[in-house]
Amino acid sequence: MSEQSANLIRSAGDLAHIRNAFFTRQDQYSQTILICSGAGCISCGSQSIHETLVDELEKAGIRENILVKMTGCMGICDAGPAMIVQPGNVFYCKLTAEAIHEIVQSHLLKGQVAEQFCSVDRRTGKRIVRLDDLDYFSRQLKIVLANCGKIDYGQLDEYIAHDGITALYKVLHEMTPEQVIETVRLSGLRGRGGGGFPTGMKWALGRKTTSEQKYIICNADEGDPGAFMDRSLLEGDPYVLLEGLAIGGYAIGASKGYIYIRAEYPLAIERLDHAISELREVGLLGEHLFNTDFSFDVEIRIGAGAFVCGEETALMNSVQGQRGEPRQKPPFPTEKGLFGKPTVINNVETLGNIPAIIRNGSDWFSGIGTEKSKGTKVFALAGDVKNTGIVEVPMGISLGDILFDIGGGIPNGKKFKAAQTGGPSGGCLTKAHLNTPIDYQSLVELGAIMGSGGLICMDEDTCMVDVARFFMDFVQDESCGKCVACRIGTRRMLDILERITQGQGQAGDVERLIELGETVKATALCGLGQTAPNPVLSTIKYFRDEYDEHIRDKYCRAGVCSSLFLAPCSNACPAGVNVPGYIALIAAGRPKEAYDLIMQENPFPSVCGRVCTHPCESRCRRAQVDEPLAIRDLKRYAADEAFKNETPKVDLIFPRKGRTVSIIGGGPSGLTCGYYLGRLGYTVVIYESQPEAGGMLAYGIPEYRLPRKMLAKEIEAIRRVGIQIRTGVEVGKAIDFKTIRDQSDAVYIATGTQRSRKIGLSGENLPNVYHGLDFLRDINLGRPVAVHGVVAVIGGGSTAFDAARTALRLGASEVHVLYRRCMSDMPADPREICEAVEEGVMIHELVEPLAMIGNQKVEQVVCQQMKLQGFDAEGRRQPVAISGPRIEFSVDLVIPAVSQYSDLPFVRPDEIEMTSLGTFVIKGNTFETTLPGVFAGGDVVRGSDVVIAAIADGKKAAQAIDQYLGGNGVLNKGEPIDIPAAEDDDELLEHGRFAMKYMDPKVRKQSFTEVAQGFHKLDAIAEAMRCLRCDRR
Amino acid sequence: MIHLSINGQSVEAQEGQTILDVATANKIGIPTLCHFNQLHAVGSCRICSVEVAGAKGLMAACVTPVVEGMVVLTHSAKVRQMRKILYELMLSDHPADCLHCDRNGRCEFQDLGEVLQIKESRFVGKRSKNAMDDSSPAIIRDTTKCILCRRCVSMCNEVQGVGALNAQNRGFATEIGPGGRERLGTAVCTYCGQCTTVCPVDALHEKDSITAVWQALSDPARKTIVQTAPAVRAALGEEFGLAPGTLVTGKMASALRQLGFQVVFDTNFTADLTILEEGYELLARLAALAKKQGQIDDRQLAALNLPHHLPDPVLPMITSCSPGWIKYAEHFHGDLLAHLSTCQSPHMMLGALAKTWYAQSNGLDPTELSVVSVMPCTAKKFEITRPELKTRGLATVDAVLTTRELARMIREAGIDFANLPDSPFDSPMGESTGAAAIFGTTGGVMEAALRTVYEVVTSRPLPFENLHIQPIVGLDRIKTASIRFENVLPAWSFLEGIEVPIAVTSGLSGARQLMDEIEAGTSPYVFIEVMGCPGGCLSGGGQPRPSTPEIRQLRLQAIYREDEGKPLRKSHDNPDIRKLYEVFLGQPGSQLAHELLHTTYQRRNKI
Repeated sequence: MSEQSANLIRSAGDLAHIRNAFFTRQDQYSQTILICSGAGCISCGSQSIHETLVDELEKAGIRENILVKMTGCMGICDAGPAMIVQPGNVFYCKLTAEAIHEIVQSHLLKGQVAEQFCSVDRRTGKRIVRLDDLDYFSRQLKIVLANCGKIDYGQLDEYIAHDGITALYKVLHEMTPEQVIETVRLSGLRGRGGGGFPTGMKWALGRKTTSEQKYIICNADEGDPGAFMDRSLLEGDPYVLLEGLAIGGYAIGASKGYIYIRAEYPLAIERLDHAISELREVGLLGEHLFNTDFSFDVEIRIGAGAFVCGEETALMNSVQGQRGEPRQKPPFPTEKGLFGKPTVINNVETLGNIPAIIRNGSDWFSGIGTEKSKGTKVFALAGDVKNTGIVEVPMGISLGDILFDIGGGIPNGKKFKAAQTGGPSGGCLTKAHLNTPIDYQSLVELGAIMGSGGLICMDEDTCMVDVARFFMDFVQDESCGKCVACRIGTRRMLDILERITQGQGQAGDVERLIELGETVKATALCGLGQTAPNPVLSTIKYFRDEYDEHIRDKYCRAGVCSSLFLAPCSNACPAGVNVPGYIALIAAGRPKEAYDLIMQENPFPSVCGRVCTHPCESRCRRAQVDEPLAIRDLKRYAADEAFKNETPKVDLIFPRKGRTVSIIGGGPSGLTCGYYLGRLGYTVVIYESQPEAGGMLAYGIPEYRLPRKMLAKEIEAIRRVGIQIRTGVEVGKAIDFKTIRDQSDAVYIATGTQRSRKIGLSGENLPNVYHGLDFLRDINLGRPVAVHGVVAVIGGGSTAFDAARTALRLGASEVHVLYRRCMSDMPADPREICEAVEEGVMIHELVEPLAMIGNQKVEQVVCQQMKLQGFDAEGRRQPVAISGPRIEFSVDLVIPAVSQYSDLPFVRPDEIEMTSLGTFVIKGNTFETTLPGVFAGGDVVRGSDVVIAAIADGKKAAQAIDQYLGGNGVLNKGEPIDIPAAEDDDELLEHGRFAMKYMDPKVRKQSFTEVAQGFHKLDAIAEAMRCLRCDRR
Repeated sequence: MIHLSINGQSVEAQEGQTILDVATANKIGIPTLCHFNQLHAVGSCRICSVEVAGAKGLMAACVTPVVEGMVVLTHSAKVRQMRKILYELMLSDHPADCLHCDRNGRCEFQDLGEVLQIKESRFVGKRSKNAMDDSSPAIIRDTTKCILCRRCVSMCNEVQGVGALNAQNRGFATEIGPGGRERLGTAVCTYCGQCTTVCPVDALHEKDSITAVWQALSDPARKTIVQTAPAVRAALGEEFGLAPGTLVTGKMASALRQLGFQVVFDTNFTADLTILEEGYELLARLAALAKKQGQIDDRQLAALNLPHHLPDPVLPMITSCSPGWIKYAEHFHGDLLAHLSTCQSPHMMLGALAKTWYAQSNGLDPTELSVVSVMPCTAKKFEITRPELKTRGLATVDAVLTTRELARMIREAGIDFANLPDSPFDSPMGESTGAAAIFGTTGGVMEAALRTVYEVVTSRPLPFENLHIQPIVGLDRIKTASIRFENVLPAWSFLEGIEVPIAVTSGLSGARQLMDEIEAGTSPYVFIEVMGCPGGCLSGGGQPRPSTPEIRQLRLQAIYREDEGKPLRKSHDNPDIRKLYEVFLGQPGSQLAHELLHTTYQRRNKI
């Protein structure tokens, strides 16, 4: 008894005593090691790391000098197991037993940091030693999580030593309940559970109601999928929550607190339970805290993990032992709550803020954040982001900063698509919202909510319809089933979404979803139902296109809704080539049939096998095992094999229909359209202004990437379906547009973008400023182009790199590529960039040319240094100038290659409607312009785009033209080709790509010989056999 | 006083009223579905959603309290559109088989569709439920039709305190039923059928006996005997558009004859008989107690002329004519079954006499008799299946029709009920007293029994105005009174000056309270009447829907009218009962009476 009372904490002196004793003890150690014991790190073995560490320390004989502590979650969960060595704040991650051995030997014994176990900066590749130097931590501000990952979660002494319990002492001795409430009100703290109701106001309501018995409940029923903020705090610093709860109890006049926590959090329950017993032992829970009249105790109630029990009224039912079902509010819990008594319910994070607010005052807290959203917010950062884990950031930080600075951006070079906040009750934000400050208002205005802190980042491979389906599936499962709106409404919304994602969407489905969603929102009984439609309504708001594509075109651009496609690769191909089919044919040693199969969808296997941007490869599922298949190279292999002896045969041309289609432009789009119309039996005449057909393929792409001989063979194969290609005929000059229209039943315009756009800098008209497309075209036409000395290329696209490498081959001594963003932002294919660097091209990131200077000719490019800040509407980092000295490049030739545009002198603007960008306006999906019977496609409609898109347009335009001319729009693709069946592999062996042969950089830059040399047969077959055959069902 | 505006009309309201209360009071109609007068308001169907200025979404009028200055719109475009969608949603999970549904034309869900002008259901999809629970002999639970309004849940839990029906599972799969994998036939269900009276659709209804009864009626080899319970005559008229509280005793007898029943008896006759058996049982228990306590000796006991076999002196004694209550006691109070009177319920007594005395005296083969009971009760369908209630190896009663089922048969037969002439019951089991009539209401059995008991002990009529024990008349849940025996006959001198506290309850949650007192040893009562249904048989589980408090009151008045209109008001005055004892049974509690008219009970599962 006497011993017990000796332990009691009854005064400020007791607290000071504990604090001093703690630091005295601490000072006996030379170093302290903190091992993360968050649930994440425990699951990847932090406990055995702890044992190993203690072992190693003993072996090294320094066990006595070093304090080893287990702490709560440090936040960066994908780096676990992790630990910190103090002093120095050295952060070691992804620990193994070997790493521990090395760290003990080097750091702890010799004082040399074992940098090899520190984390790597993804941009610079350098090791970062100090925790606070990591981007992940440097932008954070920790109030709630201040102790998490820093103190031992199970030592009350240490909590007290870090100012713990002083807030409770302060309110009991220095403040009336009203003053406490006023402080919280002035701090601007709002509920962190999702609703954002001002905490001070809620407490005031709780205080106002008179009753013998009141309750305060901490809602720890964290149910959002992927969110674990509350769990982190409960596991890492249970004391702060209990202190906040006791202060809340004092403020409203409650002597009893409940913590409602889900059964799925056993570790949190265990630690919380321990903390409660500790506090009881020292009299910080129980009767007469600090010898005052205030008595307060806490009980844990374990919920069975129903999402709806996060709703206040359902939660209270559950605490009372009834079915967790909500009831309509009013009456609000502050009037009639638990067991009919006035009750205040606060979320874990809200209460976690309270002690700091009491200690530091309301002004301190309200100084952080935005006008209406104060303090910080804890998020569980998850999804397609490099660093995942728990982050605490000041309100007002932008979404982009969280995702890109703290989160490190999107992995695997993918593009950002959307971020979902608020889980199943929330909505999504898009690339247009990356600059949005994170606060309650802005999120609600955008149709999302702050929510409890789930923040899921989604990349381009995410289907937004599927996301909506996922959340709807979740809520309809979690609905308590009480009210019609939620029970049946969410189910019927799910039914519609399931239909859409399975390719059975019907016109009107989106409208039905909106109508149902609005009704469920307005009529559901509780918060769960009222917010359940949010993910659907929000994705419809921002991604309506994707819904329409699913419903109308049965197309899922993200390659997620597998009922809509054969395999993700062919789904990603604009032309829809049966990729697994031709790969299987190659693997079976039948490359000619592979070629024929490609030809069914794309008449340019050889071209695309060389220059396609291969969107297919970025979706290849093999990437999840090792590396994506080299689909483009395999296509080239099939074409090379097919062309080995002769031009491939053409089968099954339909009888002539006697109807004529004229095509203006002999580039990839026009030729493709002509090819498929020719096969259908139309009389096709293609008009090409240049001496040879091929368009950009012939005049925009250098020989070393696409040999003209190969292109010629492919065009010949196209011509042999019986179409006429009239080269050197410029429409508007040699023949006018009206004559063509008179002679044809339909016209397809595919003249592309042939003009380089000026940058608009002074000096751009000086001699030796040669615009990219003109430069490449003149060389391909065999015109004399003098290149010598230093060449600067402005831009980061394919044309820029083609120009750079061509200049190198023509004798430039140095070639510099100037780009205002970063290399990773360049639109050019990474392989091209890589090859250019190999050949000696120098790339300068973050420089923007301001002017070209020279007298007789250009002599200098003056640039300024840029940095990336904020985001543009496309979600790309914005380059902004930083003050500092100008950067000057002395040059002999400048090649600006930034963008291109169309020039259509033969069309009168009053005849056909054009956009402000000079492209054609197309009616819906028909490829038909506003002039009846005149169709258009390729770059002349889309602006500068890739070859495969132009080819796909040509093919689809052929279907549209056939339909316009009375056909059924079904193309003649020739005889069906038997595709080898997928075999069940017993075991999948990891193996990277089989390499294609390339010329040596030193040799190849001397000539225009093709750089890529193609596959060896055996390598091609081996590569093809890596295919996982996602087409198998 | 609260002031608010509904559809632009300024109205006044009291603190605590809901929007629906205020609208209704002001003759402003708001459609409802799950709401059920004072029983049930949970706002689960959301059909009564209205627009309230300043609120985020719509508010369910049935659960939203009014506040000062509230501005309400009950049929704005948004409200009407969303109500329709809510209805369409319900319809999408409901079989559209109205034409062969028992509730066709009498279905609240169907009626609402007409009110809301539903033209289509656009939201087709999978159904959530497909279980048909026909495991019980009394009640069918057809989950496919359930709209989850949860009226039955409120009834079963809050009013009856039984807890056999609850929400199970979550989300779309939510279903109302017994927990676990139980079905009604194995759960703690008492078959009181109160759930069937509040179900707005055909999800809960009595098990059909019509088919079997038609079959018996059309079988020339069978003699069909029908009997009607006291409460049926006070409610049957409602099924034919007559005002609640209209007594249709004579029309009912005529209709039964038109349906083809050969003999029309009255359960009221055996209600009188029950009073004699039960009254003497009570006296016997009191005497046994006196004997045990040494107040009387064997000689004095013999002089009382009591039943041949003296019962255990277990008090309070509790009435036993409500089979729902009996099953409830067997489930939840298995230790207290000795408190139950051993008397069978009146209709079983009639069945037993029909297959013995009546058959013998008329030279009939009892196996060729079909006895059909028309009852306000669903539990009676279960009662006739109890093995201990067989009469000499034969089913005592062959079929039980609820009041609602009888009405359906009358409609099917095309009988113009409202205009039928009156006709009397057949003899010998057609004559009854006013005491029997009040069996149909809560407090009736108690009053009837005391009319006889008091007179047996004192030879004077019960000293109350019009013979009514006022404190136990009415619809309160628990009613108590005390009767003092004064100036008793010499044989009963041990009762002189004795105060007999009595209690009457209807609805099973009241019963639970009284039983808990007995269990705790704190019950002051000597005699308790329990009726399983709130208000007694007049609002039994087989009575016409709806059974609101107002309608119950009118039925109650009708029943007391019937009592007061009778020339004889006390069971022991019934000449046919006297004759029955003379010629057949001997005396109350005789060996034969025990064989034919008394029973035993069994303990049942508690969960």
